[in-house]
Amino acid sequence: MTLIIAPPTRLESALAYLNGLLAGSEREVRELRRSPDRLMALVTAPLLTLVFLAIMLQAGREDLAPFAVLAPALLVLWQMALQTSGDTVESERENGSLEALVVAPAPFPAVITGRIAAVTTVSMLGFVESWLVAALVFGVRVEIYHPWVFVGAVLATAYATAGSAMALAALFVRTRAARAFQNTLTYPFYILGGIIVPVSYLPDWLEPATRLVFLSWSSDLMRSSLDAGPVQGVALHLVMIVLLGTLGGVVGGVLVRRALAEVRQTGTIGHA
Amino acid sequence: MQYGRAVGSAVAVVGLRREFGGRRGQPVVTALKDVNLQIPEGEIHGLLGPNGAGKTTLCKILSTVLLPTRGSVEICGYDVESETAAVRRLIGIVFGGERGLYTRLTARGNLEFWASLYGLSGTQSQRRVGQLLERLGLDQRADTRVETFSRGMKQRLHLARGLIGDPRVLILDEPTTGMDPVAAQEFRTLVTSLQTEGRTILVTTHDMAEAEAICDRVTLIDHGSVLATERPSTLGRWITRYARVRASGLLPAQVAPVTAALSGLDGVATVHEVAEGTLLVDTAADGAAPAVMRLLLDLGITDVATTRPDLAEVYLRVIGNRGMRVDR
Ligand SMILES: Nc1ncnc2c1ncn2[C@@H]1O[C@H](COP(=O)(O)OP(=O)(O)OP(=O)(O)O)[C@@H](O)[C@H]1O
Ligand SMILES: [Mg+2]
Repeated sequence: MTLIIAPPTRLESALAYLNGLLAGSEREVRELRRSPDRLMALVTAPLLTLVFLAIMLQAGREDLAPFAVLAPALLVLWQMALQTSGDTVESERENGSLEALVVAPAPFPAVITGRIAAVTTVSMLGFVESWLVAALVFGVRVEIYHPWVFVGAVLATAYATAGSAMALAALFVRTRAARAFQNTLTYPFYILGGIIVPVSYLPDWLEPATRLVFLSWSSDLMRSSLDAGPVQGVALHLVMIVLLGTLGGVVGGVLVRRALAEVRQTGTIGHA
Repeated sequence: MQYGRAVGSAVAVVGLRREFGGRRGQPVVTALKDVNLQIPEGEIHGLLGPNGAGKTTLCKILSTVLLPTRGSVEICGYDVESETAAVRRLIGIVFGGERGLYTRLTARGNLEFWASLYGLSGTQSQRRVGQLLERLGLDQRADTRVETFSRGMKQRLHLARGLIGDPRVLILDEPTTGMDPVAAQEFRTLVTSLQTEGRTILVTTHDMAEAEAICDRVTLIDHGSVLATERPSTLGRWITRYARVRASGLLPAQVAPVTAALSGLDGVATVHEVAEGTLLVDTAADGAAPAVMRLLLDLGITDVATTRPDLAEVYLRVIGNRGMRVDR
């Protein structure tokens, strides 16, 4: 038997991370195919678009249509990412596979990231749905006046969503009760992220808090890209989205690693 | 490619202690106390002990799921605490039971997922997964969802999963629970063939017969302490030597004379009436149990059975006879 006497190198560690990403995303795609119930948010999104648009049109505010179309799409994005970050930990725990997964050579944070990335990609369908509902049901064409800005905003937002969901996964590793937050956590983010109501409509004292939530930059930029006038501060917005997303991802990664180290100590990884 | 340091022991455990609890006023449970264990490369090593002995805890520490509270644990020369990544590429784990598989995925789907975690690329993965499915007799059902599998099939899939990373050290925690005797036998044949590939295998079990069938050596563990590490044939001898005979259905008038007759036999240690009309005979010499049975039959008592004594108990009696103190 040949023995190579070497601990894993940096390159091997990076490859292991990549393997985790790929395995996680492949797995998520399979899961989504086998359990379509996980796509529930994509079913409710068009209904929300319907409600929002109906109210706005009834009030004679067709100019607000972009709000009605963007909000459900962003809701889907955030909701599905959060659901996956919670499920990845909790369903593996319930399934009895968490321990084996955590000690596989590919780092567990990479697997979580891969899964969130995959589900986030799929959740982009929410945008398509929203636009279609507006066009087909109400005959409202929401024009994308600045397509490149819009695409940039969507991509940056998807990236930041994956990063931020990672930070929350750490909670789920540490405690089972965190699962209860999963739903509760969505609402403050909807508000602070200006998803439904632009943050500029919120009380002034909330403003600083909203600026820490990447979604507030996302929703602002997306709405601007749907407006005929020139878009202000594209670079700033994109940088902030990416920055906050990266911050969430890095902090989340560190927290997940720490939580994993801690449960190795306490022996609570298999249960709560 | 195979990793590892060129050392004699695949598993080296020195002074291992593991405690649970102790937080927020919970009592401290010591699952392992001062465990020492050396398993040379290529050995099939059994870990035998009653419920709660600490077998699973030891497996989890060896597989980096849990950290030691004290002591050092090395796999192929790599420390489980400071060289975790290296250890993880050397080991394969199979925790028994039906859980732990993705029931909505097919057998192949399950294995492909684990293959990608172990860094196998498309064609490599396909080949390895195909080989393992065939080797474990799952190729016919490879593309059906695991939720339709029988227990034994799930266990085999578990083993396939444990082998996906081509581990040098395979840790099997009660791999045959829930298998029927035929499946368990096939499983043992398989484990033996894994050994011929140079793998080291640690297998926990409650079943002495299983340990005798496949293990080169067996470690007896109870209450978190290693009682002994012996060849299974030695343990097997102890067990037959210390066999127990139970005789039931004695008439009240028979009890005293039968007890007296049995006590007079060579190799009979004790005779107790454990219930009305039921005698329990502990023997302590080779061939004593058959003699006891013959005598009982001669006396017209036909409701007779032998039971294997509990291993830990046997061990304590052996040690007791040698006049050593056992620290429990
Ligand atoms: N995570 C944990 N937290 C607290 N106590 C634990 C934990 N895991 C194990 N223990 C305790 O440690 C002791 C050893 O348990 P372990 O599961 O290792 O035994 P075992 O030999 O595998 O038993 P079995 O044959 O039933 O599987 C038991 O007293 C158990 O209650
Ligand atoms: Mg156990």
